[in-house]
Amino acid sequence: MNRDEIFNKVREVLVDALAVDDDDVTPDASLTRDLGAESIDFLDIVFKLEQAFSFKIGQGELFPENVAQDPRYVQAGKVTPEGLAALKARLPHVDFAAFAADPQLKKVAEVFTVDTLVNFVERKLGAGR
Amino acid sequence: MRWMWIDRVIELVPRQRLVAVKTVSLSEEHLHDHFPAHDGLPALPIMPASLIIEGAAQAAGILVGHAEGFAEKVVLAKMNRAELSRDATPGCTLRYTASLTQIDRAGASAQVRVELAQPATGPMAFETIGAVELMFSHLDQNMAGVEFPAHNFVFGENLRTILRASGVPCDP
Amino acid sequence: MKFDMVDRVLELAPERAVTLKQVTAAEEYLQDHFPGFPVLPGVLMLEAMVQAARRMLERFGPPGLSGPQGRRAVIARVRALKYGYLVKPGCTLRIEVARLKDPGDGTVEFKGEVYAIEPRVAPAQPAIAASGRITLHAPAASSTLAPP
Repeated sequence: MNRDEIFNKVREVLVDALAVDDDDVTPDASLTRDLGAESIDFLDIVFKLEQAFSFKIGQGELFPENVAQDPRYVQAGKVTPEGLAALKARLPHVDFAAFAADPQLKKVAEVFTVDTLVNFVERKLGAGR
Repeated sequence: MRWMWIDRVIELVPRQRLVAVKTVSLSEEHLHDHFPAHDGLPALPIMPASLIIEGAAQAAGILVGHAEGFAEKVVLAKMNRAELSRDATPGCTLRYTASLTQIDRAGASAQVRVELAQPATGPMAFETIGAVELMFSHLDQNMAGVEFPAHNFVFGENLRTILRASGVPCDP
Repeated sequence: MKFDMVDRVLELAPERAVTLKQVTAAEEYLQDHFPGFPVLPGVLMLEAMVQAARRMLERFGPPGLSGPQGRRAVIARVRALKYGYLVKPGCTLRIEVARLKDPGDGTVEFKGEVYAIEPRVAPAQPAIAASGRITLHAPAASSTLAPP
């Protein structure tokens, strides 16, 4: 499956999960800021990607888990350099460049774009599940 | 108004399917508000669709909860879609058939077929009137920082009363 | 107990309605949802959106769903309705409904949002408690209590 085909399937998933239009789903659209995704939608997206691509997504594999609770990773509402390193290591499909400039915890969800999901699926399919 | 929108569980296949029924009666106060006579129109008692959806959610919620031994606090977090094509009037019976689609640590998704039978004292003929797709969240796993009681208040005595009357074993 | 989820109409325009509903411990069903931890059931926020939308239909139509018929419009469809906040007694809900589509087939689609305002001394940002899309149409049932 090439990147365009993956993008089309990811778009279908997002239109279904978030009740947005096809045109809203651009590669750099942020799931939260542009497409209105909330916490339960992230779980919906995981379930729907699993069905669409016939793979299993583990806890914390697509979206981060347990970062906020770890005092090494978050201090005074900001993600520490150690936290940022951990996020990058666990989530190689995410582009943290813009986030690193102002690493406020409450803004971390905004880094997840449509491209992030396409990257994730590409890697997972490439790695043979 | 009590908050039980199913009356009896008539089938339960763990982790797969739960079938529940609800009878609709003029004894229910809200039917007299939905809708009363007004502006020259006569009263039209119809079960509010939001409460039909709640019945579907309760059927699916019990299926999910039962699958986890009622260990998790299962709360309705999203209605992906709901479609209803007919109205349930007094004397009718609603039947909900819930199936589990996916389940993980954070929550679960389910779908429910909604059927309606017209008033009958003999065998009931059910027709499909709609479907509901839902997602539940496991409260303990998802609401860090929000205060709520440790015990599982979601699955309490009312639910156990329904399950007991339905012959479904559940832990005390 | 009355099945009325509109305490006050704050704004009413052809494309938008804003209503208010108070959440009080006196609402009986809260004793069951849940015992010891009263939380407004999510479907009642859906119902609040429907009841707000009916006011818009009553006043502004379309024909066939206007006036008294508008007050009886019922749900045909719900899409992507999410709940994001535990609404407890003492909260005030602000319900905003916007008309999205009027395809002329007897249905009207609305976008609905419910905001929860906590009763604090210092005003806090309202939290979004529910949002989604609803489509309403006229009831299919016939309008009499008498047997057919």
